[in-house]
Amino acid sequence: MTLTLLAAAPKGPLDAWSPTLLAQFALLLPLIALLIILAFTIDSRRVSAAISIIFTLASVICALLVVAIEAAHPLHLERPATYLQFFTGQSGGPSEFILQWGVLADPLAATVGLAVVLVSLLVQVYALSFMRREDGVIRFFGVLLFATFAMLGVTLSVSYFEMLLFFGMVTLSTYLMIGHWWQREQAAAAATRAFIISLVGDLALLVGVAYIYFRFNELNFQTLAGQYAGGRVSSNGLFIMAILVFIAAAAKSALFPLHVWLPGSAQAPAPAAALIHSAGSAVCGVYLIARTYGLFHVSPRGLALLAIAGGLSAVLGVLWALFQDNLKRAIAYTTMGELGLMVLALGIGAYGAGVFELFTHAWPKALLFLVAGVIIRELRTERLSEMGGLWRRMRFTRWLMLIAVAAAAGIPPFSTFWSKDTIMSKALALDSPLAIAVIAAVTFLGAMALARIFALAFTGETARRRRFEPERIRDAGGRIAFAMSLLAIVSVVAGIRAFGSRIDPIAFITFPGVPLPNSHFMAAAVMAATAVLGVGVGWVVYARRLPVPAALRPVRHAMGEGLFVDRAYRLGTVAVLLPVSRAMGWVETRVVDGATDLIAESVAFAGQPRSWLAQVRARRLLIGLFAGVVALGAITVVLAGRIIGKAG
Amino acid sequence: MTLLEAFPTTTTAPVPLPTLLLSAMVWVPALAALALLFFPSRTEAQRQRIRSFTIAATALVLAFGVFMWYGFRDQSGTYAYEETRQWLPAVGSSYHLGVDGISMPLMLLSAFLFLFAVLSSSRAREQTKEYLILLLVLETGVNGVFASLDYLLFFLFWQMQAVPMFLLIARFGGQRRLPAAWKFLAVDIAGSAFLLLAILILYFKAPVRTFDIVALHDVVLPAALATLIAWLFFIAFAVKLPVFPFHTWFIDSQAEAPAPVALILGGLLVKLGGYGIIRVDVGEFQDSFHKFAGAVVVIALVTVLWSAIAVLAQDDVRRLVGYVVMSHMGLVLLAAASAALVALNGAIVLMVADGLTAALLVLLAAAIVERTGTSSIGAMGGMAGRMGKGAVLWTFAALAAIGFPGLAGFVGQLMIVVGAYPSHRIATPLALLGVLVVAGAMVLTVQRIFFGAMPERHGRIRDLGTLELANTIGLLSLIILLGVLPAILMEGINFSVISLLSRGAG
Repeated sequence: MTLTLLAAAPKGPLDAWSPTLLAQFALLLPLIALLIILAFTIDSRRVSAAISIIFTLASVICALLVVAIEAAHPLHLERPATYLQFFTGQSGGPSEFILQWGVLADPLAATVGLAVVLVSLLVQVYALSFMRREDGVIRFFGVLLFATFAMLGVTLSVSYFEMLLFFGMVTLSTYLMIGHWWQREQAAAAATRAFIISLVGDLALLVGVAYIYFRFNELNFQTLAGQYAGGRVSSNGLFIMAILVFIAAAAKSALFPLHVWLPGSAQAPAPAAALIHSAGSAVCGVYLIARTYGLFHVSPRGLALLAIAGGLSAVLGVLWALFQDNLKRAIAYTTMGELGLMVLALGIGAYGAGVFELFTHAWPKALLFLVAGVIIRELRTERLSEMGGLWRRMRFTRWLMLIAVAAAAGIPPFSTFWSKDTIMSKALALDSPLAIAVIAAVTFLGAMALARIFALAFTGETARRRRFEPERIRDAGGRIAFAMSLLAIVSVVAGIRAFGSRIDPIAFITFPGVPLPNSHFMAAAVMAATAVLGVGVGWVVYARRLPVPAALRPVRHAMGEGLFVDRAYRLGTVAVLLPVSRAMGWVETRVVDGATDLIAESVAFAGQPRSWLAQVRARRLLIGLFAGVVALGAITVVLAGRIIGKAG
Repeated sequence: MTLLEAFPTTTTAPVPLPTLLLSAMVWVPALAALALLFFPSRTEAQRQRIRSFTIAATALVLAFGVFMWYGFRDQSGTYAYEETRQWLPAVGSSYHLGVDGISMPLMLLSAFLFLFAVLSSSRAREQTKEYLILLLVLETGVNGVFASLDYLLFFLFWQMQAVPMFLLIARFGGQRRLPAAWKFLAVDIAGSAFLLLAILILYFKAPVRTFDIVALHDVVLPAALATLIAWLFFIAFAVKLPVFPFHTWFIDSQAEAPAPVALILGGLLVKLGGYGIIRVDVGEFQDSFHKFAGAVVVIALVTVLWSAIAVLAQDDVRRLVGYVVMSHMGLVLLAAASAALVALNGAIVLMVADGLTAALLVLLAAAIVERTGTSSIGAMGGMAGRMGKGAVLWTFAALAAIGFPGLAGFVGQLMIVVGAYPSHRIATPLALLGVLVVAGAMVLTVQRIFFGAMPERHGRIRDLGTLELANTIGLLSLIILLGVLPAILMEGINFSVISLLSRGAG
């Protein structure tokens, strides 16, 4: 069917089948669904959920069509509309300050956009069952729709300004998703923290927009793509721009040191967490870097920054993932590792591979969170130390979890293997021992962490706790199983690159000037071996549940807390801001206010004791005032006229 | 000169209807106030009638404003709806009114906010009549300041908003209203003194004896004198803005004034300061202002950062709103100091946006305070369960105050940053730091008031009522409209800012 579609798409100038029109539909459909729900169906759960899913499905179809058309004719099409425009007639001729928004449909946008809507659809199907018994279901679906709209907006952004616009919306949607169960103090606090850190990124992007506009007088991605290398801006200037864009990306994609919101995202309901980590905020940052790659490409220091920060985040992420007791937090930290890997890939120049990793990683990560949701609900605990023995009890889910772990770890032939081996082959081509070592280590530890999750949750015996009977555990069924199965299927096939170049996904997304990465057999072998080894070691260590030696317990605690970075932030802000605000309060009350009070009291005193004011009848006062003003005015006018007439 | 000659006479032919609208916008509230003096107010029904009459009057002013805005966009001259009548020819002062793209949006804002203020003054109190009379006189003063193109007229209208506000705070305010009211009056008088001094120096030292702003524009003064005058004007307006360290009157008044009055104070009166700086310092004394622009930038920066940290430390929700407004006005001052085209456009848009946002925040804060019986944020929590709509609206208001995309403040903030950055590369990011702190504080406030667990004693609070909802949703719609379609304001503003900057002058 795809072939007929491809055959049917007209060759040559595309107008009827314009991908940008379809992309616009894909973008607006979730928003329209949200507005319809808010306006008309806010009282009915079923209708609201139905509308949500139907519109998202339509959006998926549009996205698929866009990808299909792009595969047939890779084009960079843009459809801008004006948001704000006025003249700046300062430099002689009427120049313009123009802010545009619109959609940009090119292979990069199409691929990631498809991932976004498809994950959103499957998550919504899952949520139909999962959130069935909760209050606030409609709110949840509304937030999911808003998040989908925001993320699609990011992927289809035409300019830095529009990126800024949608980044802000992603910040808000992440806040709303994490804070969904707002009655919990932890969730509310986590949401606030995520918002603030995301906002740091947004403001960095704002400064970036100002600086880029100041230097280039242009904010459009396509137009700027050719201008970065033009020598108009010095390499220092370019590096500053790269830093600002990086900060914005780091805040969204949880790169060290702006990663502290990620563990808190585990407070979100499982479907929301799935969306955030696989196709939501976490992906935004990497996408921003991919979209603005032209900037980094001409700034070697920028690329180095990406590589270092990405590598560091990746290593720390997977390391911390090994020590988490909370299931969702463990998965969240592995996301941090993966995102770091993607940024590292972009930093070493493996553009296609990095973006492809973005695509292939989304599916197993979403699946992991969805399965985690089922597990947590059935076992009524979030702690890995209290889980176990699910292999016997959840006969269907166990396979899904297996697939998810294998796919996320990078075991062939599952999805992320295909992208990871391309990253490794780039590192090999560069002959950089550091990069090779880091990539291998991250894959190894990541696989180990995932195996740990699987082992602790599924092997062994289910612990008996108070008020909990393991016999009550039911396997997932119905819509939940359906959604998860679809994700599992995609996790298996998403990576497969046909050996003909026609449908090669990595060749699909190219960047001019970056050579197409070939997959070395050597790299494939290394990565496969590393992943399998990691899983094996993880299995051996954790399936047996070896107790941690007492000497290592503090290490384990420190790692579990993410090396206390989060606490350091909180302490730092409190330690800095609290004394400052106290000092300020003192200055304000004693010094500033004191002086003003002095003046005020003297005025009041001069106007006789204040108690008369409370007693006097306001009406009389007003009449008196009016009369007085009129009289005084008349006299003044006459006198002034006389005096000034004489003086003038 | 006899008394007869002192009264204004019409020298021109009967003015066509449009320019009458401007005078109408200025004087209708005063006439309504005068009319109200004759209304009896003994029974409840009579008080309702008084209230309805006032609503009608303010709605009429709003209708005038909207009507004027439609015709305004075709303006070709510097000032639209210009009206000149003889008033005190011997002195050189004329009744000269006119609006341009800088004052028209603010007049529209004023019309909207006064309507909302009257609508939210729902409590039939003992002194409804006096209260509404004072509000109406206040409206005349504010509209007059925005419309006047004659310095003496400007000064008189400026005074006209001080006394009613003082009385409103002193008679109808909260517990510590008297000290707050006296502080307000004292600082206002001090500022007015500087204003009068500046005007008089300008008047006496100009070659032509006139108070007319337009005529005085072309006058050339020795540089030192011009700088002195510009400084005096700046101080007068900055005190109103309010800048650090002259801001405590504002915070105290925001805390003690009744909600509709605080709405006008935070939403409108402080904009007078911003307007004055743009109109006089940037418009009339550009070169002199440029000389001490560095100092102004520092003051603006300190204002933004000080108010941002203060927001963080605030426990009283009404004072928090005051500091948020102050931080926005600091940004406006920064934009004025940079005197860049894009930044000035942004400054005006931000003033309008902040007026609406402040109004929304004040109304919601008042609703919360009334229901919980306390204004201390620490005593609140988990109120989203009982006040679902209030929570959503407050979140929107907080986002608008942060400058969230899609809401009004975003456009203003973006333009200020993009416009001021080229000339102030260090100050602008620092100011954004202040924005970040305010944003963090606002989100934290949302969490502390609405999320988490609810203290027992607030178990029975009710959600927003119909009138409150109508007011707040009305304000929110305007904020969203301005955020999604900023172009509706921009053309008019842009044209005037271009002409303001290109006219230059010392």
